[in-house]
Order: sequence, then structure tokens, then C-alpha cells
Amino acid sequence: MALAVEMKGIKKSFGANYVLKGVDFAVEKGSIHALLGENGAGKSTMMNILGNVLHKDEGQIFIGGEEVEPAKNPRLIEEKVAFIHQELSLVNDLNIFENLYLGKELKKWGLLDKKTMSGRASEVLERMGVNINPYTMVSELNPSYKQITEIARAMLKDAQVIIMDEPTTSLTDVEIELIFGVMKALKNQGISLIFISHKLNEVLQVCDSYTILRDGELIVTGKVEEGLEEKDLSTHMVGEEVNTEGIYKPRELGDVVLEIKDLSREREYKSINLSLRKGEILGVTGLMGDGRTELFASVYGVNSPYEGKVIIEGKEVKMGSSNTAMKNKIAYVPKNRKENAIVKDLNIKENLVLPIMNKISQLGILRNSVLEDLTSEYVKKLDIKLGSTENLITSLSGGNQQKVVISKALCTNPSVVILDNPTQGVDVGAKMEIYRQIVALAEQGYSFVILSSEVPEIQRTCDRVYVMFQGEIRQEFSRDEMTEENIMLIATGGKL
Amino acid sequence: MSEEMVTRFKSFNYKQFLIDNSAFVTLILLIIVATVIMGGTFFNAGNFVNILFNNAIIGIIALGMTLIIISGGIDLSVGSAAAFIGLITITVINHTGSIILGVLSAFASGILMGAFNGVLAAKFRIPAFIVTLGSMQIFRSLSLHFWNGGGVLLGRIGGTPVEHDVLGYRTFATTRIFEGILPNGLPLPVLYWIALTILIAIFCKKTALGRHIYAIGSNERAANLSAVKVTRVKILVYMIAGALVAFAAMVESSRLGSMNSATSGTLYELQAIAAVVIGGTAMNGGRGRPIGTFFGTLTLGVINNLMNMMGIPSFLVGAIQGSIVIIAVLFQMTMTSKERQF
Repeated sequence: MALAVEMKGIKKSFGANYVLKGVDFAVEKGSIHALLGENGAGKSTMMNILGNVLHKDEGQIFIGGEEVEPAKNPRLIEEKVAFIHQELSLVNDLNIFENLYLGKELKKWGLLDKKTMSGRASEVLERMGVNINPYTMVSELNPSYKQITEIARAMLKDAQVIIMDEPTTSLTDVEIELIFGVMKALKNQGISLIFISHKLNEVLQVCDSYTILRDGELIVTGKVEEGLEEKDLSTHMVGEEVNTEGIYKPRELGDVVLEIKDLSREREYKSINLSLRKGEILGVTGLMGDGRTELFASVYGVNSPYEGKVIIEGKEVKMGSSNTAMKNKIAYVPKNRKENAIVKDLNIKENLVLPIMNKISQLGILRNSVLEDLTSEYVKKLDIKLGSTENLITSLSGGNQQKVVISKALCTNPSVVILDNPTQGVDVGAKMEIYRQIVALAEQGYSFVILSSEVPEIQRTCDRVYVMFQGEIRQEFSRDEMTEENIMLIATGGKL
Repeated sequence: MSEEMVTRFKSFNYKQFLIDNSAFVTLILLIIVATVIMGGTFFNAGNFVNILFNNAIIGIIALGMTLIIISGGIDLSVGSAAAFIGLITITVINHTGSIILGVLSAFASGILMGAFNGVLAAKFRIPAFIVTLGSMQIFRSLSLHFWNGGGVLLGRIGGTPVEHDVLGYRTFATTRIFEGILPNGLPLPVLYWIALTILIAIFCKKTALGRHIYAIGSNERAANLSAVKVTRVKILVYMIAGALVAFAAMVESSRLGSMNSATSGTLYELQAIAAVVIGGTAMNGGRGRPIGTFFGTLTLGVINNLMNMMGIPSFLVGAIQGSIVIIAVLFQMTMTSKERQF
């Protein structure tokens, strides 16, 4: 079959840092090709070169069999290749077709030709198998339709290759299905898609072929065939067998440390009752928008007021600020590390002790010895890989940043730790390590609440799981009952 | 050279050094240029002391401004506040005859004005630009109203001398030390300025409150979720800055022996912000250093001094200073945007 894209011997370095060491990469026409690798493997750099965001140092690029030289003729490659970034570049206050034609609006007598623009937008959306009015404001679209609008923009300029960078991370399962449907429709029209993702089950589900990079080198490329398993892919990505066995360990559970009684907040969650015991790891799962994030933001005191009771070690506490939560030994690792957890202008150790800076100060001055001791304690405890604790937090990989964020929660000496999407943007190897640390900490008596949409994550760590649907807890499963089928059924509104 | 030193030397990042010390580098370049043009007239100890002395007031105000801007805010009211505080201070001294009461009233009013800005900006979440735009007018208008658009003289009430001896207040800013070493000695305000710069620098780097200011300016959400008392810290920042404005107002009123409700402190806010920006502090918060502001203030001071010596019309000073501010920001932006890697 003909190749839509062929890249040969691509090399790229940033200063002394060789990010790509001569990588070959090819995508067939009319196929969905997965590009896999851990964070820092070089896949983003590779795609940024194809998308003409970065220039290669060495190597050749062929589009549809023809060699292109982006540095000399950027238009050629920009017309054929569309790059859909994780952060979408839509204007919320414009409607769909205005977004599609942004910067290249069609005009008639000097005025906008809305009729033609909306008509063509409809055509494109139809070709993608999506039925939506092009006059809809983008701000009203849910994340999957925003994604679709981005794809439509690529279609409009007749792109032959569409690069999608982790398009499914912030989508619910229903929305993911919708996107996959669109991807398949495009593929059948001869368009090639490059799918960058950490979710290996999705790769097996939707992709025709795959390429795995590691440390800037091509490791393996092949077809997605019957019998190919997630484990095969992850092994190549990490470079060694990922050991998923033996993470969970049964423990003796203590008394109830946290109890929630009849908790409600308008339009977010209603009549929530749950309890958590000492040393327990409790999962709360459901689809995106099920209210679990809002619920536990309330428990942490940053989403008030609420109705109902939060009872900590037998006493009711009014949760109104993060400070109250800290005093009552509740710690919280929010989702979306970059926006909610990382302070990019502070160094690693300052990020780690941020909540307890006042406590480790004397007359207002931070006690450096305590700071050092604490940091090295957690670096050891969670096996954080870093150069110097004086470096900025942004110098760390995603997995290690997340470990610092978890350490930040632990250093407040909590009894309950709420983890919202704890392994977001963390690669497979580091993920398993984080799970192991959580279980080890639970053995020491910490209690955890893990909020996650990833069922395997829940299965690997949790003693019990609550499944939420539209703001309500619909079902509780014990460890033996928490199968993928059971959880998905309840999460999508079904009944056992 | 040891192995470690070699690698350290190799990894020395000139660009990062330039970004971190842009104000210092600019100042050195400017001093070289000024020396080439004016020679010994510019390059002598007496002139340097003069430059330091003439910029101490703005320099002290700019230190407070640095903290506010690092925290993600801004304060346009510092000029009006300085005038208001100076008027209050001299008036209190004139009426009570007590310098101590004057000093206390200066700090009390400065901190109170800071708290006013801080509470509105942090607790009621009104954008700091708007709050301080308003308070700038309020402080100026109250000064004009209570002092009838005129001023006060130390030691005189309505033209008649007061009975107490209050001129001792002037020694606060006019005393000079090291008169044997330097041609005209070193005026105390220069020492105050340097000492406060060091103090604020240590505060920024070594204290919990100082680090919280950076955390809030860099990522307020994350700071709040990490149990940092965001509102409290922000209010405190404005109060500290208010205290520094009070200190500067005392230097000014003590140096001149008078204060005027219409002219004192005008455009101080803009000069202070300019010094902070030239000093390399990020306007959107999270990054910046008091020492940079110190050099930023001096950069503006040297330009002023040089243009004076060259006989450039004083009306043009603003144009040159404004250009320097824009160039400084442009430099910061190009440097930081190239830093970004994919």
C-alpha cells in the first residue's frame, strides 16, 4: 500500500541533548497509526517536526511519496499535515464554522459569506459522520465535539495526514467512542491518522499499526493484529517487562476515619454516603462529569458550601478551606497537575514542603536543615529521581513531578489522602511504581481515596470501590466484584 | 581544574545568566557608556553617592512594588500614599512636638493604606489595577482637601514657628557619615536603601511568607490547594509595601523639611514600576528579585544623571526612560520565549 508519510533518519538535538537519534517512521495511506513511547521518548519532537513546529537537524521527509523540505517550503507540508494538539486552539466565543474559517474567512462584497462557510462546514461535518449545527457556539460544545471541530478544521484544508496528540485523555468513554467513529470514517476516506496515546487498550481497539520509540530511537514498528496484547506494547515502551503482579496486598483495616453523611451540592452531587477506614484504599470511579471531583473538592474544603455532614474520626467538621482540611489531617492531590499542583517558579524542595512552610520555620525563617531532611526523606520514600532538589520542579519528568506532588500531600502528616487522577500523564513504569507506593503507605496506616476513570488503576490498588453516575453513588463493589464489566455497566447508568 | 569545575564551567549558561542579571548587566553597560561620554565628571565617588542619594526614595518604594508584582498584583497608589503619609507625619510632628509620634503615625497610616488596597484586592477580588487606581485618586484627593491644595513646613503651622524644637527630624535623612573618606560623605538614606534591599532579599528567599508570595504569583490555584492562606498573604504583601512607602515618605519629608499635597509623590508609582520591570521581575508574577529592582532603580538614576550632565532638555528624560522600560520588557520576552522547548 502507498505511504502517506515517510520519515527517514530523523535527528534532532536541543543543545547537547539528543532527542531523536536517527528515527525512521512510516504511515500507510488510509490507516490509523499509533505512535507510542514513554514521556521523553521523542514522540512529541518527532510529530512537531512532521507538523513543522520544529525543524529537523538531519533526515528526509516524504509526504505522499514526494520529498518535502519544510525549512525551505513550509506551505507544502502545512497544507498536507494537520497537528491537533492536546491543548485545543479554538476560540470559545465563536461558533463552529467561524472557528473553522478563522483567519481564512470567505468574503462576498467585503462582508463575511456566512452562507457558504456554514454550508461547507456542514458538508465536512457530515463526511465525518457527525450531525451538529455549524452555528453552535464552541463554548457550548463538550470536549469531544471540540475535538471534532479541530478535526473538521484539518479536513477543511484537505489535510492528508492528521496528527492527534492524546485526544482522549479528557474524554468520557461515550465521547471516546464518538471520536473513534470519526477517526474510522476519515480512514475509510483515505486519510491517514497518527494517534499519540498512553492508553494502550485504545491503541489495540482503533489502530491498524504502531511504532514505539524509546530514548529517541525506533524500537519496533508493526501491525495491530489478533493476539497482540497491551503487555507486549508496554514492554517495548519501558524496555523491560512491566510487572503488574503483586501490587495489591491485603491489609488489616482499622476504625472508620472519614465518614460522609448525606452530602449534597446543587447540580454537582447528591445524597452521598460513604465511609473510609484506617489503612484502606477506597476507589471512587465513574465517567467524566459524574461529580466525584466536585464531591472530594468539597471534602477538602475548596468547594463549599455543601449540605450534609463530613465526619472525621467521629467529629463533624465544617470543611470551608484547605487549611481546615490540613488541620484535620486530610490531604489532597488534585487532578491536572500543571494547573492545580505545580508551582513552576519554585524549586523541587519548596514545592514539596509548600503546605507546611510555616510549621518548619522559626521566627518566620525557613529552617534549611529541616527542609533538607524532609525532602531527602520523601525522595527516598517514593524513589523520586532527580538531580538536585534545588532545581525547578519543571526539570522533572511527569512521573517524578507527580511523586513530588504526592509527597507534598504526605508531608502534612495526614491520615486521609485524596488522590484525584493520580497517574495522569505518567508513563507506564512510573505508574506501577506509584501504585506500589500507595499500597505500601496504606500498610503504614494511611487511608486513601483514589478518584479515577481507569478501571485497571482501581483494580490494582483498591480494597473497595464506589461507582458514581450523574452525581450519585450507584453501587459499591468489593475487591472480588470490581470487574471492568460491572463497573462500566453502573458507570454508564445501567443496573445489575 | 577539577572534574566538577569543568562540567560546571561547561554548563554555565550565558543566556540564563543574562536573564537573571539583566538589570545588573544593563547598569554596567550604561556606566561604561556614561564614562566614555563624560569621563571623570561622571565617574567619581561623589557623583555615585549623589545618584544613590537621589534615587533612594523611589528605590525603597520599588522594593515594596517588587513584592506586590511578584505576588501577581500591582499598586498604582504608592505616589499619592507617599504624599499623604508625608503630610500626616509632618503635621503630627508640628502639632505634638514628638518625632516618635510622627514616625508611628507614618507607619500606621502607610500600613493602613496598604491594608485598604490589600483587603479590596484579595478579599473582595477586585483587580488590583482597579483598586489602586481608585485609591491613588482617593489618597491624593484627601491630601488636597485636608491641606487645601498646599503643603506643610516642618516646624511651622500656618507660617508661625511652633514652640517645640522639631528640626531634629531632619537628621533622619540629612545626616552624612564617612565624611573623611568620601568627598561629601554618605547620606544615611543610601544606607537605609541598601539595608532594606538586603532585608527584603533575605525575606524573599528565606522566609515562609516570602516563598508563599512567589507561590501565589506563580500559581494561585496550586498555592490555595496546598493550604497556603492566599488572602492573608496577599493582604500582608500590600501592608509590607505600605510600610516601605511610609519609610520612603519619611525620608522625603525629612530631607526636604516639607511636603506638598499637589506635587509630592507624583509619578512615583510609574517610576517604581519601571524600576521593577527593568529589574527583571515578571509582570504576571511568580518571578523576580529585590536586588534586580535595586539595579533597575539605579539604571533609571544613571540615565537621569547622564542626561543632566549632557544638558539634554529635562522634558526629554521621560522619553528616554520610557524607551528603556520598553526595551527591558522586550528583552525579557524574547529571552524567555526562546527558552521554551517542545
